Amino acid sequence: MKRVLTMVIAMMAISLALFAGGSAEESDPNAPIKIGSIQDLSGSASNAGQPNAWGAEYAVKVINENGGINGRMLEIYTEDCKNDITEGLNCYNRLVGEIGVCAIIGPALSNPASAWVELSAEDEIPIVGHFMDEVCTTNPDTGETYPFMFLCEPSCSQQAEDLAEYAIRELGKSRFAVLYNPSNAFAKAQVDPFVAYVQERGCELVASETFGWSDKDYSAQALKIVASGADCVFLGDYLAQMLIAYDALRDAGYTGTIVGANTMAPPFADQVKNDVYDVYFLQNYDMLNPDVGNINELVTKHMEETGTTSPQVNVGFGWDAVMVLAEAMKKAEDPTNGAEVAELISQTTDLELSGGITLTINEQHRTDTMGMYIATYDENGEMIIVGYEKVD
Amino acid sequence: MLLQLLINGISLGAVYALIAVGFAIVFSVLKFSNFAHGGMISACAFIGYFFQASFESPPPIIVTIAVTSAAGVLFALFLDAIAYRSIRRHRSPSIYYFLASLTISILITSLLNIFFSKNALAYPMLFSSTTFDLGSLKVSRMDMMILAVSVVILAALMLLINKTKIGLAVRAVAINPDTSKLMGIDSGAIIVLIFSIAGFLAGVSGVLLGCKYGVYPDLGQTMMVKGFIASLIGGLGSLGGAIAAAFILGVIEMFWTFGFGALSTPVMTFVLMLLFLFIRPQGIAGQFAKEKV
Repeated sequence: MKRVLTMVIAMMAISLALFAGGSAEESDPNAPIKIGSIQDLSGSASNAGQPNAWGAEYAVKVINENGGINGRMLEIYTEDCKNDITEGLNCYNRLVGEIGVCAIIGPALSNPASAWVELSAEDEIPIVGHFMDEVCTTNPDTGETYPFMFLCEPSCSQQAEDLAEYAIRELGKSRFAVLYNPSNAFAKAQVDPFVAYVQERGCELVASETFGWSDKDYSAQALKIVASGADCVFLGDYLAQMLIAYDALRDAGYTGTIVGANTMAPPFADQVKNDVYDVYFLQNYDMLNPDVGNINELVTKHMEETGTTSPQVNVGFGWDAVMVLAEAMKKAEDPTNGAEVAELISQTTDLELSGGITLTINEQHRTDTMGMYIATYDENGEMIIVGYEKVD
Repeated sequence: MLLQLLINGISLGAVYALIAVGFAIVFSVLKFSNFAHGGMISACAFIGYFFQASFESPPPIIVTIAVTSAAGVLFALFLDAIAYRSIRRHRSPSIYYFLASLTISILITSLLNIFFSKNALAYPMLFSSTTFDLGSLKVSRMDMMILAVSVVILAALMLLINKTKIGLAVRAVAINPDTSKLMGIDSGAIIVLIFSIAGFLAGVSGVLLGCKYGVYPDLGQTMMVKGFIASLIGGLGSLGGAIAAAFILGVIEMFWTFGFGALSTPVMTFVLMLLFLFIRPQGIAGQFAKEKV
């Protein structure tokens, strides 16, 4: 009995010693600051998640090379959420519960991020990212802002309205059609505000056609759009669906304007079967212009390091999110204190991002100071920026 | 408009037919739904893509189809060796075939996801203009190519099955492998032949679907459902029935989507399948696979 008692006491002593050791490490003012990055490294959005992760990791590398956060190095731990809510929750729990990160760089997609809104508040973990659906930053039922969620780009409805305004004012369009997958939150979050905006401006929605995830042939929908007499069609899905939709419309004889989400960026023009003409789409950055910010340098570096054949906008997303977080951490007395850092992120004002545009975080933890570039393709299939739009 | 929809529906049916036949031919002999066919189509689409991409100037598409089909045959034989042969040897119930095929399909798709992610890859453009005008109609060149290749291959397959001694042996094994063996037919060789044909069809389908829809890991899986429904409506295991049902399904889907929207189309398709199961389970062909190919 004595032996058992001795063993129990010894184990408790060892546990206490280990626990005490951990505390000492965490309170070390010179210890590296652990941050997490949850991205869609595989799954249906990996073409966005992989460059996003690269951008965040590269930003951390550059920050550390320049002295870190007031002398403390950043350590980034990247997890793959596979554009899946459950996987995203697992990633969050691993990062916060096991690794002990004090902040997280979120993915570019809203599905996984929307599941962390309550958790981040409970754990006081600031999450900064490009999850552009408003439900990630604002409670849709109460209108309250989630205190630890921050969006670093115009939200879905802002982007859709910017594009709609450009189509109406600059392109002179008035008869609109939409072709999208209503099961895709990314598409739906843009199509609804796009339609609402054009109708508010007195334009007509002449066709609203849909398809499902498993559909591969949109020719019937395209024929209806042609028959509707639309002069502008909005597409808002992921790249694979955008390719089929574009080709279906052109094959059906539609020769009008096609406008779309940022998923129309390269390699879209290289992958469609038809000639690319009269298309206009959203872009967060003037990526190919070396004279604005450092986005061109980032996408070029990414292409060199990874062998990617076209510039990836998400590289800038990852970079920008880390910079927003790092800027707040530098101002904090304790950069590992989530509540303090979150408060400082919410005060972000005129912070220049990789695209050369400044970011100010508003009360909804989004931004209303940023607009969107409008891009198109020239006759050689090269992307060019033709405008910058910001609807107030 | 009606004629345009009909042409588009027939084109869609040709795609379904290619898949449905690959499905039906395995069912006709081995009496199981080979869901691995979807994974094989995806794998072959990647093989064809990388074959084309390995040349500075891409070879003619027919060369890519031939090479990919050969690769598809080898791949099918490999799968037979590692997954199905032992099930046959042990005379295990058909459910084991079904489970093995489902596992293989998921395995192939998962491996493709790991190595190539979900990003779509695109075959080089085959035509300078994607459509041509036929009176007031617009006809897709790609669709016509798929239709032509499908018709030629399916006709050759029907001839092989119905007009040759090998075809007779296939039909005999389909009806009763043990009795066929007693009559001197090497049923093992016939089964290998069936897998080879399925692999060949997966190669052709992979390249054609890849050209039309782009190349990504789920390509075959998503199309497989329609192929399965067509083969079921046609009469499981019946090649002629599968082909007829595939074209009918393509045309009905096209008109339904035009009239009622795409979101209700899967409902219509599955209701149609259920109706056949309730009213005419033997399908369009009218005879069960166990009785005749």
